[in-house]
Amino acid sequence: MIILELHQVEIDYCPDCKGIWLDTGELELLIEDETEKKRLLNSFKKQEHTKEKLYRCPVCNKKMDKVLLDDEGDPVMIDKCKKSHGLWFDKNELYLLLDKSNAGKDNKVLNLLNDMFNYETGTKGEGA
Amino acid sequence: MWELIQANKRKSFFLFIGMTILLLLLGYFIGSAVNPYSGGITGIVIALIILFILNMISHFSGSKILLAVSNAKEVTKKVHPQLFNVVEEMRIASNLPAMPKIYIINSPAPNAFATGRNPKNSAIAVTAGLLSMLNRDELQGVVAHETSHILNRDIRFMTYASIMLGTIVLISEVFLRGMFYSSLAGGRRSSSSRGGQGQLIIMIIAIALSILAPLFATLLYFAISRKREYLADASAVRLTRYPEGLASALEKIAGSHEELKTATKVTAPLYINNPLKRKGRKASSLQSTHPPIHERIKILRNMAHGANFSDYQEAFSNVKGSVKPIIPASGLTDHEDIQIRKGEAGKGKIKNARQSKRNLEDLMLNVDRYDFINCVCGLKMKVPPGYSGNEILCPRCGRKHKTIK
Amino acid sequence: MYAVFIFLGIVLILIFYIIGVYNSLVKLRNQVKNAWSQIDVQLKRRHDLIPNLIKTVKGYMKHERGTLDSVTNARAQAMGAQTMGEKSAAEGLLSGALGKLQIAVEAYPDLKANQNFLSLQEELSSTENKISFSRQNYNDQVLFFNNKTEMFPSNIIAGMFNFKEEEFFEIEDQTEKKVPKVDFA
Repeated sequence: MIILELHQVEIDYCPDCKGIWLDTGELELLIEDETEKKRLLNSFKKQEHTKEKLYRCPVCNKKMDKVLLDDEGDPVMIDKCKKSHGLWFDKNELYLLLDKSNAGKDNKVLNLLNDMFNYETGTKGEGA
Repeated sequence: MWELIQANKRKSFFLFIGMTILLLLLGYFIGSAVNPYSGGITGIVIALIILFILNMISHFSGSKILLAVSNAKEVTKKVHPQLFNVVEEMRIASNLPAMPKIYIINSPAPNAFATGRNPKNSAIAVTAGLLSMLNRDELQGVVAHETSHILNRDIRFMTYASIMLGTIVLISEVFLRGMFYSSLAGGRRSSSSRGGQGQLIIMIIAIALSILAPLFATLLYFAISRKREYLADASAVRLTRYPEGLASALEKIAGSHEELKTATKVTAPLYINNPLKRKGRKASSLQSTHPPIHERIKILRNMAHGANFSDYQEAFSNVKGSVKPIIPASGLTDHEDIQIRKGEAGKGKIKNARQSKRNLEDLMLNVDRYDFINCVCGLKMKVPPGYSGNEILCPRCGRKHKTIK
Repeated sequence: MYAVFIFLGIVLILIFYIIGVYNSLVKLRNQVKNAWSQIDVQLKRRHDLIPNLIKTVKGYMKHERGTLDSVTNARAQAMGAQTMGEKSAAEGLLSGALGKLQIAVEAYPDLKANQNFLSLQEELSSTENKISFSRQNYNDQVLFFNNKTEMFPSNIIAGMFNFKEEEFFEIEDQTEKKVPKVDFA
């Protein structure tokens, strides 16, 4: 895992799997709209049985929980550390989440993410 | 400068002798209290053996242990060129025979200390917080203070003094605990044993000594370490010719509310400012290891006429309102005037909070040997030392970058 | 018989004392020499840094030909200087030229943001500091040595072995004294 910095914003990023790690509290910082922030943070739902592989937390190296986010629309399944060290987003997951969370076109964070991963999202396509 | 070193060496020697006598007395009386016939000699021998072992350890790896305990990491010039330059400037000014090793402690709390066996084998450790907070002239003041500790042989004195103190505390503790438990278990037997009044008196002396010796040694240690802080301030000004640099640095250090987590009671006297936050205790009490920082700042700012030792002494007397000599008389002999130069202390380093926090974090990553790759497109990539891949694709523009192995 | 022993004893003590003082005089004199060579090391380092600096600055400072040329010329002169007096004067000129360059740089924000330039600037201003600190140290060492050669009783031994007082390093040019103003923000 390496650290990326653009316009004084830092993001932990895995160059091999293109995943993104957010320390606890960082997701809150990324979402500007207050009601949207609350709605999203309250929508965490733990999933007991999934086919997705379990990851280990990069901070404490313990197995992480699978969590469903935003179950009103298309839910996104991410990984959450049991000890609340942070959240793991697979390739494009963070982008999808922010994109559909009514963040709007002039969301600074989304623009920054778009900018930061311009090459990656541009050539390898969306989805995944 | 030179006379000062001689005076300091003499003082270290007397302190060493004083503490040794205290230790031997302790050994003798505790030994006699345990066994009235041959215990005294045995006690002295055991005390000497413990002292010898601890001194060996502190002589050969004392500074390594101190640096490791403080979580300090040795760095190369690439990590912080300015720090290296400033240390070298002070090495030249103070005529040290060798460049001190340079360590950085990854903590946002601003502080610094020096350690080592002698001027040839010394080290200076500063925190990342200090580096991100001070400008060049202020950093120079702090480094000059630490260099003075090396030059005045304070580093060796502090290591020995703390080891002696530790030994005395250890022996007293063991004895007092032993007394406590044996009086619980077999009190009747010992009181009925022969020996009479003489033995009882020895027992009382042993107990009194075990309680008083650590207190006495601590006060001695702290009193001298306080005085040495003033001395190092005075020497720092003589080296840099610029009292405001150190004064402004101390002011910034005093204004910080960050806590240095790796500092302990034993290592606290080493630092430029007491790293342990006082809990309501008066700063000028007998127990404090450092003079009150605001007083040190006041004295430095009172130096209007020159950068000589006598100028510091004059400022000290003005601020404290007493004529107590703080510089040994032999250090006041050079009569040539030393002018204070102009500098930029207090200026600069006023960046926005976010930028300075980022600088601090980058410095700490640098200390942890992260590799920084700046892609032409503007994206910065910070690669940890254990990264396994050979190259990284910039996710912004797709350029390939080689990683350093 | 006793008188002989006492006399011999006194002579021995005297010999040991003379040896001790002689050795410390030699040590002090060596430190003076060493301090002098330190100044030379730093001056040479400054000469080495200047071509790099000019190369970096050139592209940005198109309208400052004169300032850049005066630095290059002053450097050439300083490197060619032979005697003490020449050297001191030439190095003084070089410091002055560099000081002017530093002031001129203020007008070029792009240059001030250049990472390469910033690290060169740090090296250069540190070298300026090192020059003045090595001078300071030289004067300190001269002071220790001279004290020893002047004060009783070591002055007798200094006289016996022909130890002469060393000269202090005075700065004639007042502009020399000022370290170029550098913004470290």
